[in-house]
Amino acid sequence: MLRNLIAKDIIILSFTVSVILLTACGRNSMEGMVILTEGRLTMVNPDYITGQGWRNLPQSQLTAIDPSNPSAVADVLTSDFYSASSPDISFDGSKIIFAAQKNQDDPWQIWEMDLRKLSSRQVTKLQDDCVDPVYLPGNKMVFSRQIQNDSLKAGYTLFSCNLDGSELRRLTFNPHTFFASSILKDGRIIAISRQVFPSVSKANYMVLRPDGTKAELFYDCTEGNELVSNCQETVDGKIYFIEREQTAGKSRIVSIDYNRPLHSRKPVSGTDGDYTSVLSMSDGSFLVAGRIGTDKKFVLYTYDMKNGKTGSKLYESADNDIIDALLVKAYERPRKLPSEVDFGVKTGLMLCQNINVTGMNSPETGFSLPLADKIEIIGVDSSLGFVKVESDGSVYLKVAADMPFRIRTLDSKGSVVNGPGGWYYLRPNERRGCIGCHEDSEMVPANRYAVAVSKNPVSVPVHFEGVKEKEVELE
Amino acid sequence: MRKLIFITGIITVFLILVFIPGKKWARGHVNYITAVDDHPLICINCHLYNSNSHLISKIVNRDYLSPINIAVSNDGKKLYVTAQDADKLFVIDVAEEKILNKIDVGHKPYGVIIDRPEKYAYVTNQWSDNVTVIDLAEMKVVDTLSTGNGPAGLSFSSDGSVLYVVNSYSNDLTVIDLAEGVEIKRLNTGNNPTGIQLSPNGKDLYITARRAIIVPYGEPMATELTLVDDESQRLRSFLPVESAYLMENIAFSPSGDLAFVTLIRPKNLLPTLQVERGWMMNHGFGVIEQNGDGRIIQLLIDEPQAYYPDPFDIVITKDGKKAFISSSGVNMISVIDIDSVRNLIAESTPEMLSLWANHLGVSSRYVMKRIPTGANPKGLTLSPDGKYLYVAEHLNDKIGIISTETLTRTGEINLSTSERVTVLRRGRQLLNNAGRTFQNQYSCYTCHPDEHEDGLVYNMASKDMGRNVTNTQSLREIGDTPPFKWNGKNQTVYKQDGMRFSTVLTRTEQFPYNDLDAISSYIMRGNPYPPNLQFNPDGILNEVQLRGKKIFERTKDNFGREIPVNNRCVTCHPAPYYTNRQPFDVSTLAVSDDSIVFDTPHLNNIYASPPYLHDGRAHTLEEIWTRYGRDDKHGVTGDMTKIELNEMIEYLKSLRGPAYESSKINIQNASMNH
Repeated sequence: MLRNLIAKDIIILSFTVSVILLTACGRNSMEGMVILTEGRLTMVNPDYITGQGWRNLPQSQLTAIDPSNPSAVADVLTSDFYSASSPDISFDGSKIIFAAQKNQDDPWQIWEMDLRKLSSRQVTKLQDDCVDPVYLPGNKMVFSRQIQNDSLKAGYTLFSCNLDGSELRRLTFNPHTFFASSILKDGRIIAISRQVFPSVSKANYMVLRPDGTKAELFYDCTEGNELVSNCQETVDGKIYFIEREQTAGKSRIVSIDYNRPLHSRKPVSGTDGDYTSVLSMSDGSFLVAGRIGTDKKFVLYTYDMKNGKTGSKLYESADNDIIDALLVKAYERPRKLPSEVDFGVKTGLMLCQNINVTGMNSPETGFSLPLADKIEIIGVDSSLGFVKVESDGSVYLKVAADMPFRIRTLDSKGSVVNGPGGWYYLRPNERRGCIGCHEDSEMVPANRYAVAVSKNPVSVPVHFEGVKEKEVELE
Repeated sequence: MRKLIFITGIITVFLILVFIPGKKWARGHVNYITAVDDHPLICINCHLYNSNSHLISKIVNRDYLSPINIAVSNDGKKLYVTAQDADKLFVIDVAEEKILNKIDVGHKPYGVIIDRPEKYAYVTNQWSDNVTVIDLAEMKVVDTLSTGNGPAGLSFSSDGSVLYVVNSYSNDLTVIDLAEGVEIKRLNTGNNPTGIQLSPNGKDLYITARRAIIVPYGEPMATELTLVDDESQRLRSFLPVESAYLMENIAFSPSGDLAFVTLIRPKNLLPTLQVERGWMMNHGFGVIEQNGDGRIIQLLIDEPQAYYPDPFDIVITKDGKKAFISSSGVNMISVIDIDSVRNLIAESTPEMLSLWANHLGVSSRYVMKRIPTGANPKGLTLSPDGKYLYVAEHLNDKIGIISTETLTRTGEINLSTSERVTVLRRGRQLLNNAGRTFQNQYSCYTCHPDEHEDGLVYNMASKDMGRNVTNTQSLREIGDTPPFKWNGKNQTVYKQDGMRFSTVLTRTEQFPYNDLDAISSYIMRGNPYPPNLQFNPDGILNEVQLRGKKIFERTKDNFGREIPVNNRCVTCHPAPYYTNRQPFDVSTLAVSDDSIVFDTPHLNNIYASPPYLHDGRAHTLEEIWTRYGRDDKHGVTGDMTKIELNEMIEYLKSLRGPAYESSKINIQNASMNH
């Protein structure tokens, strides 16, 4: 009797252990694998407005390789898609989201794949192309969506939504186009951003909070170069990406420091090759997708980041270029930032501490611009009004939410002193401060009471008054 | 058997009847306390760790040491460490990394200094108002010297005959004749002084201050350094350091041409719109030129996307090449290349120097390295040969050892036998750490130094900018004084520090719930009031205070008219916390305020919390009534003579923490025994 009971227990125990082991095996079956986007690049003139030849490549596909056994045949993960690209790994390492076309004429949409079952489900169901998805904390994601016939004349704007496609929210409202998002450990989105109106400017990295607030310049791309990859932030505080020379058709790996991104650019590689992406591995080593020397295609190399040396060729596709690479692993979830956005509020508040503070003034030479008497707020299609500058140079605005605007300063005769600067927009209930106009972006404000905040803010557009909106709760 | 089944059934039904509604009630209760609906239902988080019971507190907590300052022997073989929460001076054998002696000193020891012949150590006891003198040969206490209130930093005169002691609470400097062992003089200092340093030429003493000069909100702020002539022991001047406060410590270059003081540059005059781009707090140091006109240059140690809050101590190597600053809010030592600082100053015009004070990028010119340490690095000292930097890891109970050559932490000396971190200790570590603020820009401690308040008024800008400015409130012993905030909007500390806190203030992910529990527990139960040795040392009120008490408790005015119950001081401010925890309109609403009623504040140790009223408009207690309470809506005072008002204020200043009034606990009297 006792013996039977023991035997029965052993069977149950063995079964349980087997189930646990099998489950665990299944869960980690792709851990350590590298997922590649393969396709035919036409990098001659990548189109930043449409993403063609660059972000959304027809007939591209996702494949998986084992970096410890690169000679093995790559597994095609998206064989039932016409095109697939730009995967991002979930924080627990179990899923990817990616952009794909199921059929040739379908718009690009965002899909999520369970890496254990290799089954996919569609997340977005929109008429416009959606590319470059990135997981956000809180079961959300951000992606670039093409805006067609948009009065703001933007190409791709950033949107966020839940992973079931619900709560779709537009995040960016300036006439910029956004691609290749990543998420920084501090919880902000970093994306390639390029002004497209009124003139097309070079691409830079912008950061913004996941609710679209506090959008600002993070890295100012050097003249003559284009940014072509998303960012890889590493544990030592470095951020790696690829900068491509506009004319020579060559590119280099560049690093910046998170702590001081605007002034810490360091070229890691020379321009002896052409690169499309960089990937940080778990052991601190790196992989790059590049076309080096006599390579006809972009292939996957190991890379010695410390010495700026290309290592061995890890993987080469028979027909395709390697466009980007992704390591399958769980990693520390970035901070989940709280949101100040309140959709019951129709405006945002902005304080400029002293509009006369500008980087054009030079304490070294003593040069300074004439003092501004007023500012003009300029919208996409028209002037939104003029606002008198206070005696200390401060200006306090209440701006219609999600409306792009620029500011320029004028003297008492109405002549332009400075600007207009870059595009701003304020999310509903966003509060924002700036120190001056075109000021050094590493400056902090002086601890000085602004005359403008002793009065009510000026509504912008200036005729935009009497807006009935939700009373903001007093803290 | 049937009986057993019946009883089991009854119990089951009873449990179901109790459990289901009980759980529902508990859920509602926890939701109310935490102001969220998903906080785990773990009763002990509140009812154990926040318990008022001394027995429970004894069981769930343990004693810590909290080393704060260090001195080193001339041969570098011994370290003398003040252990703030153990009331002891630890003597440590550096080579053996072991504790040689633990000497009982006064309450909350702060600074320690060794005389030149290495005969005596002097330890300031911040909560005992005295200095313990220890014979280093015998390793025993030989004398206790009286000081002013809250002695902190200390220094010898150039000839070693005089001991200067900075009194951090009474804002003055005690001058002690060491031959006689008595205080011979007391000089005024800046507000809340802590650090003191004698210049290498032996002429000048520089005394730092933490709190700014009180000015009306909107006017530029400044905090004063005090300059004292060593020879005459007379006050030489006050040097206002503009836009800065919390100047904890000061050090001189060996040549004596520069003095370096740690400081914080707050942005309290700006609406709290964002943390990005340094809009809330910046941290750095001041350089005081000793040649010329004593120019003070301020430079930041922060970077554009990373901040190094709460700089506490600064030491400079003997070759004058490097300075080390303990960035206590991020567990780092910032290493400064002094030659680079000199070069920067030399090549910069006054306009450029003014710009650098507000520039996050310039630190890349002179910050050589950041060295990680244990929790909350405070006091620093260099070994005599300059090879090692010793760091008092305040909330780690360890002395960190850093090689000044490799600039790495090469070892540690553990002062404690236990590594156990209690919930309260965890809460204290969190409160002192900036890790839960966007880009580490500030910790709770930054605005609440010593878990008190920083004396500044802020524009929280949750509504419109420029409106609803608020005076920072103390965190000491607030556990039994809910609700919180001036408008009483937060019913609990949990709510105060939860999601809304992260949305409007820290602007990063809120505390995980276990951390929120810990920091709430610490805020509620971990911060005792210091004894009120300045105005009520022994619980016996003097005659003036007794007259003031009578006025405070009066029911009729000077004309014999009955004072309405709701307009009597004691109605809204009853003992033991001197608050009835009710909202009230005391007619102090400003034009720039939204219409609110004010949560009645508690009054214990009120003498230590200027300025007063919700927006800090009253610079003194007296001004509450002489300038802002003339309509008799904040208690009836219009009938009082000036003398009567002053008597009442003297009584208010005598109010102290309830624990000191208890017959069971008398920390204050115990502290006086030393």
